[in-house]
Amino acid sequence: MSNYKRVSGDAVEYEVFARKTRVEPLHQVGSVVAPDDDLAMAYARATYDEERWCEMAIVRKEHVIELWSPGEV
Amino acid sequence: MSLSDLVLSLADNKQMLGLRYAEWATRAPSLEADIAAAAMGLDDLGHSRVLYGCLEPLGADPRAPERESDPATLRNLAYFDEPWTEWSQFVAANAILDTAFTVMIEACVGGSVDVLQHRLRKMLMEERYHFLHGRSWLRSGIDAGPLDRAWLEAIEWFGPSDGETAALHREGKLSMGPAELRTRLEEQLEAKAPRANTDWKTWDPVRRRSRPGAVDAHTFAMLRGLEEKKYAPPTAAKQA
Repeated sequence: MSNYKRVSGDAVEYEVFARKTRVEPLHQVGSVVAPDDDLAMAYARATYDEERWCEMAIVRKEHVIELWSPGEV
Repeated sequence: MSLSDLVLSLADNKQMLGLRYAEWATRAPSLEADIAAAAMGLDDLGHSRVLYGCLEPLGADPRAPERESDPATLRNLAYFDEPWTEWSQFVAANAILDTAFTVMIEACVGGSVDVLQHRLRKMLMEERYHFLHGRSWLRSGIDAGPLDRAWLEAIEWFGPSDGETAALHREGKLSMGPAELRTRLEEQLEAKAPRANTDWKTWDPVRRRSRPGAVDAHTFAMLRGLEEKKYAPPTAAKQA
């Protein structure tokens, strides 16, 4: 995940995950910025719905617990 | 008035909602909102195509030839007559009117008519995201003017308690009548519709609206494909 932040005001950054088939794992397809979960879901669906995903999920970037970052090991 | 008339009203309104959404695809407050406006516009234009396609199986297509020449024969709500100039108009339409149309689609899917039960079901999945978008922006606070107007036009669009929508409900073709539709809309939006004294005597049961007027000339020309023709190359016949 990128360390680039484009959040301002009350907005929150969300990472978007999706997969096309049940046998593949969820992987990150992008991110959206929104003030709440509802709008983040609407934005994620609108922005990343070009492909036929069988599953899509979002998570607040601040909720991701980082074990280490690039350059730390 | 028939179920076909109601479906045509729904189709015309979805088409106009889709067009008005699309007009905001580069004017919304954020890039994400721009993309959402474009995506919701595409969804609603697609829904209108599906709804127009239901008219033939329903048995009676109420579209008359005058639709090609007279914008006042289109069945869109007055809210869509002119392009929106304020973001709050977009939000009120997204939250109130789009949800009102979804509630009517729920009534069609829950009713006894096969073609509507099957063809409209997928719309409800797509509309979930329109609802989340509208509700979230609504919570951020918008002007009362567009909000009150959208509520008024939504309640009017459901129709009077003794009108055709109520009759379709009694016949089982719709799973909800005007009172149930209004209650469902209020539950969805967690808000009460403002008090309004609709004069049903002046209400147009075909266009399901009280206000006179029609869609603006530019939009009507676009709907008829005339705007596109301005940019078309001259035909071989004209060149000769």
